[in-house]
Formats: sequence, C-alpha cells, structure tokens
Amino acid sequence: MIKGYAGRVLEVDLTKQTFVFKPLDEDIARLYVGGKGYATRLLYDETEAGIDPLGPDNLLIFATGPLNGSVAPQSNRFSVVTKSPLTGGIGNATCGGSFSLGMKKAGIDVLVVRGRSEKPVRLEIDGDESQVSFLDASDLWGKGTYETQESLGKKKYHAVIGQAGENLVRFAGIVSNERIAGRTGTGAVMGSKKLKAISVRGKRKLEMEDPEAFKEYTKHIRELFRDHPMLGQKLKDFGTGGIVMTTNGRNILPTRNFQRGHFDGAIKLSGEWMHDHELTGVKSSCIHCPVTCGRDVEVEGKGRVKGPEYETLAMLGSNLEIGDIKKVNEWNYLADDYGMDSISLGVVLSFAMELSDKGMLDSKLKFGDPSGVSELIGDIAHRRGLGDDLAEGVKRMSQAFGGHEFAMHVKGLELSAYDPRGSYAQGVEYATTNRGGDHTQGASMYMESTGPLTIDPHSLKLKAELPVMQQNLMCTINSMVLCMFTTYGMIPKQVHGMSPSSYAHKLAVMAFENSGPALRFIIKKRPKGKPMLWFEKWLTYITGQTFSTGHIQEIGARIFNLERMYNLREGLTGQDDTLPPRLLHEPTFKHLQSGHPLDKLLPRYYDLRGWDQDGVPLRDTLEELRVAV
Amino acid sequence: MRVTVELTYDMSKALGTDHFEVEDVATVKELIAKARERVGPTFEEHTRLAAVAVNGVLTSHAKGLGTRLADGDRVSFVKAAAGG
Repeated sequence: MIKGYAGRVLEVDLTKQTFVFKPLDEDIARLYVGGKGYATRLLYDETEAGIDPLGPDNLLIFATGPLNGSVAPQSNRFSVVTKSPLTGGIGNATCGGSFSLGMKKAGIDVLVVRGRSEKPVRLEIDGDESQVSFLDASDLWGKGTYETQESLGKKKYHAVIGQAGENLVRFAGIVSNERIAGRTGTGAVMGSKKLKAISVRGKRKLEMEDPEAFKEYTKHIRELFRDHPMLGQKLKDFGTGGIVMTTNGRNILPTRNFQRGHFDGAIKLSGEWMHDHELTGVKSSCIHCPVTCGRDVEVEGKGRVKGPEYETLAMLGSNLEIGDIKKVNEWNYLADDYGMDSISLGVVLSFAMELSDKGMLDSKLKFGDPSGVSELIGDIAHRRGLGDDLAEGVKRMSQAFGGHEFAMHVKGLELSAYDPRGSYAQGVEYATTNRGGDHTQGASMYMESTGPLTIDPHSLKLKAELPVMQQNLMCTINSMVLCMFTTYGMIPKQVHGMSPSSYAHKLAVMAFENSGPALRFIIKKRPKGKPMLWFEKWLTYITGQTFSTGHIQEIGARIFNLERMYNLREGLTGQDDTLPPRLLHEPTFKHLQSGHPLDKLLPRYYDLRGWDQDGVPLRDTLEELRVAV
Repeated sequence: MRVTVELTYDMSKALGTDHFEVEDVATVKELIAKARERVGPTFEEHTRLAAVAVNGVLTSHAKGLGTRLADGDRVSFVKAAAGG
C-alpha cells in the first residue's frame, strides 16, 4: 500500500445493515490522490445515471487523503461527495473539525454509505476491531448538531446532521465539531438515509515514506505560516471577516440580493469590529492548524458559540441589508445548529425579501428588517409554512414564484459572497464550476480584488487562464485534503509588505498581468519537475511519489473533467455554465454599462480546457488525462 | 461637488467615524491631500499598505493619482485581505 493511506475503504449498507472493509484501490489513489477525487471516481463508477439524489441508490461518500492524519497545518479536513439534491449534478463539500483525523485513526481512507434505513440510525465504527454498529438514533432525531455531538461524547470523532438534514432541506450540511460541510446539500442526502450521526475511533498512526524529512519541513512551514501577514496575522487576528471592508471598498460585497456591491453599514459586520466588540477572546481551530480562523462570540440564551465567517457576515448581513452583528451571530448559530449552509440560507432569504418587495410573494419579509428571520430559519429547518418553500433553494423557488432574473444561483447552487461584476475571473469560476456557483473551487477573487497583488478585474486578460488553473489546483487541494487557506501562503510575505503605490508593486502587477503565455504553457503542457510548494513536498515525503506543479495541475484537471462528465451524464449541459441574468445585465460599476462579460470569456475558457464550444470535453482531452468514462 | 471618503478600520477608530466628506476636489491627488489634512500625522502609517479605489475601481487600474472625481463619488482606502 502507498504510504499516507490507511489502505481501507469501508462500505456500509444501511438498508441491509451490513458492512464490508475493502482494500483501497491504489490505481484510483495514484490517479485521483484521495478526498474529492477518489470519491468522485467511486460515485461515477458505482451509481446509475438519473438516480434520485434523495433516494436509496445515491451514495454518500466521506473521503480523506494522504495528508489527513498528519500534523501538516490545515490538513484536518475531509471531503463529502454525493449526487446533489440542490443541483442534480455532482455534489461535494469539505469540512474541518476532527472527523478526518478520526477516520484515519480508525484506518479508513474512504467511507461509502449506501441504501436507506427504515428508522433513524447512527453508526459507531471501531477501526481497531474492524466493527460497525448500527444503533437506534430515535432519541437523537429532532436534535441540533451541537446537542447531538454532546450526547455522543468526546471519546470519538463525529459527523452529524441537524434538523435541516433530517427534513431534507436541500442545502443542509454535515457538521463535525463546529465546522460544516456546507455546500450542495450533503446533509439532506444523509437525512434521506435516516442517518443521524457517524462516530469513529481507532488508534492507528499514519505511515510515511520519509517521516524525518516531513517533520523537519513541516516545522519550517509552520514557522513560515506563523510569520505570514495573511495566515499568521490578518486571518489569525480578524478571521475571514477581516475581508468585509476590502470587498466593500472594491464594490463586490453582495448587498440587497446582489443589487449593489457596497453596504453603508459594512464596518459593523467586519472582522475588525468583531475583534473589538464581539469576540469572547476564545479562538477555535481545526486540529494542527496554526491559523485559528475560528472565533467565539456570545449569543443571548446560547452562551459562547462559534462566530460567523465572512460568507455568513455577507449573506446574512449586507445581502439582507442587516448591519446588526448580533443578529448575524444568532442566525449563524441557528444555521450551524440546524445544520444548514449559511451561504444558501442567506441567498434564499434575500431572494424571498426581493420577491416580497416586488409583490411576488405574500410575506412580511423586508430588506433591512430582522424581524421574523430567526423564526423563519427554524421554519426552513423544519419545513413549516413559507420555510418549506425556502428549503427548496433559490432555483426551485424561482420556478414556483418567478424572479428568475434575480435568482442568484448557478446550476442551482446559491452564489458565494464575491460579486463577480467586480471580479471577472471569479465570475467564470462561478459559471463553470461543476458543483455550481461557489468560491472555494476556484478563488480568483484573491488575485483580482482582495489580495495584495491584484490585476485589473475588469480587463479580459487572464480571465480564462486563472479559472482553469485555480479550479485544477483546488480539485487537488480538496483531494489531499487541505484547507483552501493554504493557497494564501503562495504570495510571499515580501509582496504583502509592498506599498500599492510603490514602483516595485506596480512592476509586480505588470509582470503578473503579462504572465498569460506562462500560465497557458502550464495549463496545456503541465510540465513535471521537482516539488516546490509545501503541499507538493508534503505529498512527496508522505507517499514517496513525486508531486510538482505540473502533477497538481494534471490531477486537478483529471478530477475536474470527471466531474464534468458526471454532470453531463446527469443531464446538465454547457447551457448551465452561466450566471444569473442580474449579474450579466445589471451594472454595479459607474464606468460600465453592463454586467459580467461571460460571453467573451467562456469560449476561451472552453478552449483552454480542451472542450468543445458546448462545454463537452473532447475525446483527446479525456484520453490524455486518463479519465475513463 | 462632494465626495465621500471611506476609511480603513484603524483610521475610522482613530477618527471616530468610518467616513467623511470632502468638497471641491477634482482628482484623487487633491482628495488625498485633503484626507491627509483631516486624518493628521498618522495618515501615512494608516494608508501605507492601502490601495485607493474610486467607486470600487483601484486608481492603479484607472489614471492613478490623476483619476478625476465627480460629484457623489466614493473613494475608499482598501487593504489586502483573505476570506473563505
């Protein structure tokens, strides 16, 4: 067995209440690494086209990668892959917390859940004894994610759902500790299987090919991250909320259901404001992560709880025109406890508010008015009244109530909190990402709008190249499985220290803007060399195989193409590679007459991908990448 | 002619407001001169790592300090940050 892997796949059938441990397929591991890549391969191979995402034939796959279980910073994450009940295409999400470590200690790389239980059930997996217990979970059904985890105790590692998952809210997630695999409705799939919780335990240790080199190098990287202006300072001090003032200043902070990109009350939603007024002083992190981006706040009646991240601050704050941080803290807690994605939640609420505003929905919801929202979140989780409509997500709501032009989703997945009218590459990523409109499968906004070295977001330069490279990179990152924050370390400390008005900074931006030929060479040729970046070296030290930028791009492209083939098989087409009409046609920048120029960029993007102009991978592309379909 | 100046968080803490307005400035260069007067000696320290955006567009992607301003424009000092 390749080092870095436990070597086992556990398959559980909830219908028959049976389980089997199988050896990990080393060929798949070599081609797809692990995590999202490995799990996508299994989903493609082991499910029939056209299955009901909420039916027993869907698979719910939890997958780790070779970095998980190590002490590499930001490596305690797992991927969940399934057919999405929100999009009907590939569904996936990653999650921090501790479950990933638990899986590796139990000697399980991948956990495949099939079938459906008749009654609420929970699984207890003892990796050392290779045993799985199917336990009655009726007493936990109806409880939130926090209480559920508390009931299950601290001696095991848990992944659980809340009421949203139980009631098949299409954007329900799966929770580990206080972190959530939020996107694409994985929690609804778990709920459809009547699976309330999975607990794992074991005492296995990760084997590495070169543990000494790994240890020494990781020590160095840990110091580098601690000293890094973004990872070791800004994210550490202010969390992801530290970006609010930046997106607001750059006019890309979603406001009033993406009607604008600027919110006058943004300062009181910022990470800096939270730092000074809301935080309890307690931080939280995933195991072995030096960034500690999590931070606790007080919520009345609930005590000290996890505070909101940037996406939540934007989607439940500015996007609803709510500047009251205490309300956002409370709604964030509710979303986590009910177990639902706060991004999708924010967008369904803003959509409902705009429908009400336009007289298309009979409700008292109003932008800027927090009254009734707390109760409505509970109604969504329990599918009561209007909440039942919102639980379907924005795409289905727009089919029922109208408002297609301002239904802010791609492929059915509600958009993240970076308005692509001020970040063109991000818009291409939203439009083309296989799981739908999302910022973690390609985060070009950092290079266009928020990072220390940003190219002109309104020029067409690099706006097809960056998305291809970013999506490939993130596919592999999510297969190791690492946190996307690791990529923020790729811009060195020295660049952060440059004044934007300095000559050196201008030169660096100019060099970046003219890097098109180099980026196209990497995309097309994927040159293999020695490992340079830390995650390439970690993979190399752990597995004994060589990973370089070319390898990372190739593996990512393989995964991305397989996801695309899955979507095509399930009925999605290139027509779904689009943006909401509001983003295409309604300008938010004073000097522009229209929205995002997707029509100019999509053909270039398809060409770089080796796809035809309908968004279908060419046979040569699939063969070159060894994507068997 | 009136232009709104949006401050970084630390500037806003020092001044007790997150924005102020300036009148009769034709370019970003003139606006910065007025903002420097208003903020005082800590202006350079607060803005050294901040870029300047006019209605969300960085001046480095427009005409730099010569970028012309119009009535109702919003000028923001923005610093690099990362979300997720």
